[in-house]
Amino acid sequence: MLIVKDLVKTYPNGTQALKGVNFQVDDGEFLAVIGLSGSGKSTLLRCINRLIEPTSGTILWNDIDITAAKGKEIRMIRRQIGMVFQQFNLVKRSSVYNNVMSGRLGYVPTFPSLLQSFSREDRERAANNLAMVGLEDKAHVRADSLSGGQQQRVGIARALMQEPKIILADEPVASLDPVLAHSILKYLEQLNKERGITVLCSLHFLDLVHRYATRAIALKDGLVVFEGLPSEIDDAQFKEIYGQDAERIEIS
Amino acid sequence: MRSLKRSMGKMLNESKLAEMRCEERELMTSNSQYIPEQKKKRVIAPILSLVIPGSGQMVLKKTWRGVTVFIVTLILSFLVQWGFSNFAIGEIAVGGLKTSWLWIPLALFWLWNVLDAYLLSIQKTAPPLLAFIFAAVVLYTIAWVVTDVNLDRLVTRFDAAKTVMTKVVNPDYIQVYKDGKFEVCGWNCIGDYLDAKIKGESVPHLRVSENVGDIFGRQGTVTATWWDKLFRGIRVGVRIPGFETGKLIETIAIGLMATIFSTILAIPVSFLAAHNIMSHVPGGKVVYYIVRTLLNVVRAVDTVVWGLLIIVWVGLGSFAGVIALTIHSIAALAKLYSEEIEHIDPGPVEAIEATGGNFLQVIRYAVIPQIIPSFLSYTLLRWDINMRSATVIGFVAGGGIGFFVLETIRIGGYQQYAAALWAVAVVIILVDMISSKWRNKILEDKPKAPDKTTWSRIRTWIYIILGLAVFTYCWNITGINPKNLFNPGVTFGRLLKDFVSLDLSQSVLAGVTKQMITTVMQALLATTLGALVAIPFSFLAAKNLTGKSKFSAWIYHITRSIFNILRSIEALLYVAIFVYWVGIGPFAGMLALAITTFALIGKLFSEAIENIDTGPIEAVNATGANKLQMIMYAVVPQIVPPFLSYLIYQWDINIRMATIIGFAGGGGIGLTLNSYFGSLQYHKAGTVVAMIVIVVALLDFTSAKIREKFV
Ligand SMILES: Nc1ncnc2c1ncn2[C@@H]1O[C@H](COP(=O)(O)OP(=O)(O)OP(=O)(O)O)[C@@H](O)[C@H]1O
Ligand SMILES: [Mg+2]
Repeated sequence: MLIVKDLVKTYPNGTQALKGVNFQVDDGEFLAVIGLSGSGKSTLLRCINRLIEPTSGTILWNDIDITAAKGKEIRMIRRQIGMVFQQFNLVKRSSVYNNVMSGRLGYVPTFPSLLQSFSREDRERAANNLAMVGLEDKAHVRADSLSGGQQQRVGIARALMQEPKIILADEPVASLDPVLAHSILKYLEQLNKERGITVLCSLHFLDLVHRYATRAIALKDGLVVFEGLPSEIDDAQFKEIYGQDAERIEIS
Repeated sequence: MRSLKRSMGKMLNESKLAEMRCEERELMTSNSQYIPEQKKKRVIAPILSLVIPGSGQMVLKKTWRGVTVFIVTLILSFLVQWGFSNFAIGEIAVGGLKTSWLWIPLALFWLWNVLDAYLLSIQKTAPPLLAFIFAAVVLYTIAWVVTDVNLDRLVTRFDAAKTVMTKVVNPDYIQVYKDGKFEVCGWNCIGDYLDAKIKGESVPHLRVSENVGDIFGRQGTVTATWWDKLFRGIRVGVRIPGFETGKLIETIAIGLMATIFSTILAIPVSFLAAHNIMSHVPGGKVVYYIVRTLLNVVRAVDTVVWGLLIIVWVGLGSFAGVIALTIHSIAALAKLYSEEIEHIDPGPVEAIEATGGNFLQVIRYAVIPQIIPSFLSYTLLRWDINMRSATVIGFVAGGGIGFFVLETIRIGGYQQYAAALWAVAVVIILVDMISSKWRNKILEDKPKAPDKTTWSRIRTWIYIILGLAVFTYCWNITGINPKNLFNPGVTFGRLLKDFVSLDLSQSVLAGVTKQMITTVMQALLATTLGALVAIPFSFLAAKNLTGKSKFSAWIYHITRSIFNILRSIEALLYVAIFVYWVGIGPFAGMLALAITTFALIGKLFSEAIENIDTGPIEAVNATGANKLQMIMYAVVPQIVPPFLSYLIYQWDINIRMATIIGFAGGGGIGLTLNSYFGSLQYHKAGTVVAMIVIVVALLDFTSAKIREKFV
């Protein structure tokens, strides 16, 4: 169980991105995080694996205080939390295989890893994860020669190398065509259902939330303004989250 | 182009802001307190500027403008006073009182500044062009005198120019036996020889001249190395028959070794100078600032000046040359590398951090793969630059072709000198071609299919073995001896001691200042002259203008070749020609600088013209404009920003070059430096080096600022 309490993040330039966020996530949930651009979704997700230092508040994960962790402890926590990015964040010039392999870095001794030497177990793990996202034949091509959807699948395979208990996905489909969006989210759904990985995923489109999420929270100006089932987001809620001028649109 | 659009966007924004401010003002006029405030400024600002130039502008919140005006006034006043008391520049007698007429343009500049302050207070500005003209009159008049420009000498001594040019185009490669002795066989002589040969007449006896052996190498004796010991069982140090490398080969080796060493050393340094890396390390910020400063200081001192310091350390020879090039090159490369590191995509870094990777793993997996292509291409670029430096480092360090050139000039052997020049030109043109071809290929950075065939493995091994062989060979012929590093020359200790206690006495400072101003003025005149001449030629060398018909394609190729040949020779090597023509001194040095400026600027400008976007031309043509209007509205706006930025770039280069032009008799600070070093007056030499560092760093800073503002 992940418990976020009174989480505040003020950036050095004074922007208050999070103003006291409270919620919790049970193991095995698929939690959608919604909200307008600038409402603090990315900041929230990055605080959970400490890519961003929270200003105050606590994040408890199965009795571990993530916010209190230091140095090596942070890395020990991070390696159990996979992350998937909007811009995929692959090393474009490296091979797909090396990108996937880099997901294992938190587990392997430093020196051999600097020489790109990995155990047979890890190499098999990489092969399996690539097969899982259907890219086994692309292992040795450069990451930038793949299409956007394929690159995001590499991103998922990289996260899987960590054997994560949680996956944080920051708008994983915002850079992709709607059709590809479903294919990516289906992988996340599959991991959530079959392997019981908790998923925290920020999304822009409500119908994707309805289709994939088991629960949703909505952020507005750094505060949680809604928490509940996706089906509970009615028109009034919608206007509350997105403002009076917003219109609901559907994507196929 | 993109920066142009951005700056236009900015301008639009600014004009909108100004509009908004105007509206605001109108609104505020109803506010009774506002009017006196505004009126007060209208009176106070010009008065302030009259007393202290620029202060009015500062009061009106135009800090940058104010500071510039203030500093320019200060510098101009100093120069006028200095020029008058040292050279009586612009001397006129006013009622028995001797003064300089240059105070007039300065006064006009001052008045312009007052006007500017007034106009700023009513939301207008004075035309900057006027200020430029007043400042230029002062600067160029002084530059003209201190660099000893004597146009008449160009004409009266034209015979000398003809003599030296004849010698330069008839290099000493082949000699003919005539009247009991050998003499140089130039083009005419070779033509006659071939003619006679074809006709079957009797031909004179020809031979390859000694000079060729000196430059390229000859069969002779060499000292045995561990190599010979390993394969032939000969004791190291014994003289054995072998190929004596010529000065040109030595030069190539110096450039290559310096590039290899500096690349290896610059990589770790560049990480220390990268902001995004060091801010992740405890205490990294301090290291970052120290390393950055150090790099700037080291870079400000030209390779040749480094050579002077290094020979005191390890003695004369190619090894000193390698070290001097390496030091300068580390600083230059580390700066470029670190900027490249700072501009990597932060996404992968974040991703690797998110997987729990540690600092080293992040560098290995997220940083290094991203920087490889740009690092390689900078290394290749630096190889090109190092090869050029290697041709002149011999002027002080005693290794490579520069040393040979110095010797030939000393004995007046202009045809031997010419032979060296042409050989250098060929090598540098080749290096330039290879380097730019590789660079383009690397920067394209096309994904390659993984190549794991046996043949490709064999090929890799062949490359590795060849590379090692070349490396060892170069190591030997440049006489690299790390032991010498720990066994410094007798005066090295004194040099270090003297460099921390500089001679700052009045007389030394006055002398050094004088030479430094001469140096800067040389660079100013050379840049102006070179660029002015280059502009018309650059249009001829632009493919989109002249590459069309067969005849104009010839013009294109000829101008391009002239640029390339002239560009391949360093200014320092040209000085001898101009010394012969107009005599030793700053004028000769300035002309040599102008030649290289002409060549490089011509090339860069022509490329800028080739790169213009045809879209705007079509658009303007479509409005029914005539040719002149088309050029004014569609071409000129596109080429002015790159032209300006290349001019600034060239100015930076010329300042550095001007500091060493004196080593070959071209006047300026190099001469002073050389003589202080020669007479072991290290206190004073240190003062000169410090002066060079300060002035070059300041001018670098200024041009960087100007580039930011205008380009
Ligand atoms: N590094 C930073 N420094 C300062 N302010 C920041 C920084 N990163 C984000 N912000 C600000 O914090 C607020 C929340 O940003 P955040 O990126 O978390 O929003 P988001 O909901 O993810 O938006 P989007 O949908 O655009 O990605 C915004 O106002 C943003 O401008
Ligand atoms: Mg975001």
